[in-house]
Formats: sequence, C-alpha cells, structure tokens
Amino acid sequence: MTKLVEKRTVDMQIIGDWVEPGTRVLDLGCGAGVLLDYLVQTKQVSAVGVDLEFNKIAACVRRGLAAYQGDMTDFMRAFPDKHFDRVICSRTVQELADPTAVILEALRVGRALTVGFVNHGFWKNRLNALLQGRKIRNEVYTTEWFESRPANPVSVADFEHFCAAKGIRIARRAHLAGNWRTPCRALPNLLAGYAVYDLAR
Amino acid sequence: MTDDVEVMTATDSAPRHLAPGDVGLVAPRDFVCRQPFTFKSGQIIPGFTLRYETYGQLNATRDNAIVICHALSGDHHCAGWHSPDDRKPGWWNNLIGPGKAVDTRRFFVICANVLGGCQGSTGPSSTNPETGRPYGILFPFVTIHDMVRAQKLLLDHLGVAEVHGVIGGSMGGMLALLCAVEYPRFTRRVLAMATTGRESAQAIAFNEVGRQAIMQDPAWNHGDYLREGGPRVGLAIARMMAHITYVSDASMDRKFGRRKKDGAVGDAYTFDAQFEVEGYLRHQGQSFINRFDANSYLYITRAIDQFDLAHAYGSLEAAFASIEAETLVVAFASDWLFPPDQNRALALALLRAGRRASYAELSTDLGHDSFLLESEELYALVRGFLERDEPYVFDYSI
Repeated sequence: MTKLVEKRTVDMQIIGDWVEPGTRVLDLGCGAGVLLDYLVQTKQVSAVGVDLEFNKIAACVRRGLAAYQGDMTDFMRAFPDKHFDRVICSRTVQELADPTAVILEALRVGRALTVGFVNHGFWKNRLNALLQGRKIRNEVYTTEWFESRPANPVSVADFEHFCAAKGIRIARRAHLAGNWRTPCRALPNLLAGYAVYDLAR
Repeated sequence: MTDDVEVMTATDSAPRHLAPGDVGLVAPRDFVCRQPFTFKSGQIIPGFTLRYETYGQLNATRDNAIVICHALSGDHHCAGWHSPDDRKPGWWNNLIGPGKAVDTRRFFVICANVLGGCQGSTGPSSTNPETGRPYGILFPFVTIHDMVRAQKLLLDHLGVAEVHGVIGGSMGGMLALLCAVEYPRFTRRVLAMATTGRESAQAIAFNEVGRQAIMQDPAWNHGDYLREGGPRVGLAIARMMAHITYVSDASMDRKFGRRKKDGAVGDAYTFDAQFEVEGYLRHQGQSFINRFDANSYLYITRAIDQFDLAHAYGSLEAAFASIEAETLVVAFASDWLFPPDQNRALALALLRAGRRASYAELSTDLGHDSFLLESEELYALVRGFLERDEPYVFDYSI
C-alpha cells in the first residue's frame, strides 16, 4: 500500500467505529466509494454517496453502491429532517465553497454528522510555510500551487471555533498524531495531523 | 428517437453481421396471446400479438433476462441484422451483443414492440376482428401500464422467472420504472435513461403539435384509412418537429450549420429546401411515414403524455415504496425534452422512499437521443450496473 492509501484506511477505521450497524449513512464527496464500501461490508449500513464526477459515480455503481452525481447541498435539500442516521464529510470540508451551509444542512438531514479533516495547524505545516514561504507540499498536500484546486484549509482550532460560534454540539472528537495512527493527547491544534469530529445539533 | 444513429463502418472483407461483438443475423418472433386483454380504460380486445426478438440464452435458473424497452418510434429490433444486406443493425446494436455492455454471452436479452405499436404488435393498424378492417381510433386507449402488463405476459410465456434488469430510454425508461413498480419481486434492476416520471407542459405541447399535424391532414379521416394511405403529410410533419426535440442546438449546428444543399447557390428566392438541415428533416419525415402508422403515433404519444407516476400512486415516493429493484437513472446534460432535473427527481424520490438508487449524468451535447450514443463511459456504467465487481477486499495489514 502507498502511504496515502494507508492514511485513508486509518481515517476509515475511526469513522467506522462511530457508525452504528444497519443505519442509514450519507457520504458527502464519496469519491469511488471506498469508505462506503467499507461501512457496508463491516457495518451493513444502507449507504448512499454524493459526488460531482461521473467516473466516481460509475466506480460506486460497479461496487454495488448507491451514488448520486450532483451538488451535495442541492441533494440534501431534497430530503426531510433526520432522514439519515449519519452524514459523513471525510476530507471534503476544505473543498467546500460554503462550508457553513453544507454543515448546517447536513445536521438537518442527519441525526449525526461526522467530519474528518487534515489539521492545517499541524506543526510541520506551520514550519513548512515558515521556512519555504510557499504552498505547503508534503505527502498530504501533494500538488503544486498551479495544479491544485482552490482549497480552504482548516485547523483544529478553526473547527472548534466554528462549532462554538454556530452552537453545534461536539459529541466526540478524535485527534491523531502526525503519523495518523497514535492518538494525540495534548495541544491538538499544534500536534494533531488529522482530526475527526462527531457533531449534533 | 432519431433514425440516424451512427453505425460503425465495416470493412468490405468482413460482413458486418459477423463482426466480433455482434449478435449477427436475428429474426423476430410473434407472441400471440389468445386471452382477452382488458386495458386500463376498461376497454377489451379478444387477444393480442407482441412481436419480439431475443438474443442469448435463458439460463437454467431462468433469472438472467434483460428486458430492453424501446422509445416512441422504436421497435423490437434492438440488435443484430435481419439480413446481411441491411443498411443498419438494430437500434441499440452498439450496446447489446457478445462482450458488449449488455453481454449476450451472459444475459438473455428480450425486446418487444409495445402494445399499440405498428411494427408487428397489435395496435390501431391491426385488423379489428369485428369489422375485418383496421381498428383505427376504435382501438382502446393504451397506457404505459397496459404496455408493461402485455410485456409481462410475454415474459411469463418465455419462462422468465426473474428479470435481471430492465433497460430503457425515454418512453422505454417509463416502461422500465413501471415494471419495477408493478412487479417488484420480479424486477431486480432498473436502468432508466433520459426519462421522466411525468412530462412537463412543454413536452406535452410538442406531442400535441404532432397529433394536430396528423389529425388536421384530411387523409387522416378520423383515423379511418387504409394501411397504404393515411395522413402521410401530417405524420411527416409531426416527425420533423419531434426530431428537433431529440437533438440539440449545438449538435444540429455542428452537423449542418447554415450549409446549403448541393446546387443551392446565391440567395434563395424559392421555398424549396435550400439548407442542408431542411433536406435532412424532410428526409426524416419521408422515411418515417414508410415505417410508422399515424394512429399508432397518436396513441403512443397520448400514452406518454398520460404517464404520471406521482398522480397514479399518490406521490412518487408512494409509487416507489414497494420497489425491490436497484435503480440507476442516467440523464444527459443537453437533453431538453426530458431534462436532467426530471431524471434527478426520480432518483431522489427513490432514495427518499428508502430504495437503492443511483443517478449519473453525462455531459454530451447531443440532446435527448444521447442515450443511443457510442460512449465508452456509458458502456462502462451500464456494464458495471449489470455485472458488478467482486466485493472489494480490504487490506488491514498496515
């Protein structure tokens, strides 16, 4: 396995621990459906993913997963309150044009919302920016500036502040160290490489 | 559906029907049901015929059938060739065949001309046993529901225990969806393309213009005409107009632009066809009247207009509540007849009803008829939906 796939799998296992078996799960930005496939196989969830790209939807369909091609906010607006037991937003939140709208809508259609993101405040990122004075590049941020999509990186502190400002209850949080495997027990905004939050209204 | 589906060019040395991936020479068959058939309207005919074709073999468990449902002007001949001299193969030959997206080595593919049609199945041009003349407009009003019920009788007759998948575009998508609604345990998968749960006012309006062109033609004679005659002018105009709705501004512009027909020079002080697009549409109209019955056109467009899943079952969610099939809805960005939004509404309602449904959209610019497109992306999607990969094995050894 490459380092990236390895990291992806760690992310999956944390989220998998929080998902109740047999529940109805929505994955925003589902990609080729790796996480949903894992949840279907290990937790027998009833799953649906949303993604913008045709090829991602085709990959999900090949896996036997239900997937919807389109805008995630438009998708969620078509569902009644609490239709899903859990909405998952894994490594997607930094790509959203309007993260507040998506997160509030996800908290409406879902009983719980799991958000996983790379902590931009991680000390190596800070050091990298300080020393290089350029767009951060490492095994997580892999692309040059000129081949990157617009991104809105978020740190642990940013996210905690957002939840407080919007009155969103944090039911659980998991911070992982820079290796994304061992728990990070102190100063997460500085020392955590990856963060997963479980939110509720 | 348009007639000018691009056909793959074959070399002179290899007959086209023997090309790899082609089902080859095929012959239609007739299913004759001698039981009286009661239409949704309550009207009854003493029996009916459905003309159909099959490709591939029904397996021992009788559960590998794929049912192909055709659109308004389509027919049962969806793959292969009737004769080596045919100008074109069946209308979905690019999708169906050995090793193709709908793999006839694996599946038993069935396609029937709809009830009310005119390509061999019983419809208004069939002989009314009570009068010995064509039914004309004495033929009972046909609904999509009637078409699906008649088709189910054929599938029962063929010994199909369970349908692996029902596939259709446009009106065919309506039949496919309704098959899953009406026969939930029988229907395992539905692939509906470029379709709708109910037409918009605009689509009904286009159909009405087509019907008026036919009915205002004096030769229509209230539907009473002989097989060789009838409202040929009206039917051709209906077809010319409908054809425009099956393509797009961009695709017509690419194909014709403002190019003039051969021989047309200078400014045109005449109403003869000057532009290539005019000649093309006239050709479309003329070739259509040689293969389609005007009364069938009235009946089938009316059936499409009447189709309204939400109204018939109370709501789309109620219609889909009993579906057991997995559904895949595919729309095409440039389809302005049954646009993406109407296809999305189907997938969203299925998901709200707790069903397993997917929605994918291809960004072609060919309009409504894009579902007939030669597209590797579309083929891969269809194959993936019908065949599915082996379960992905997760490697936890990190």
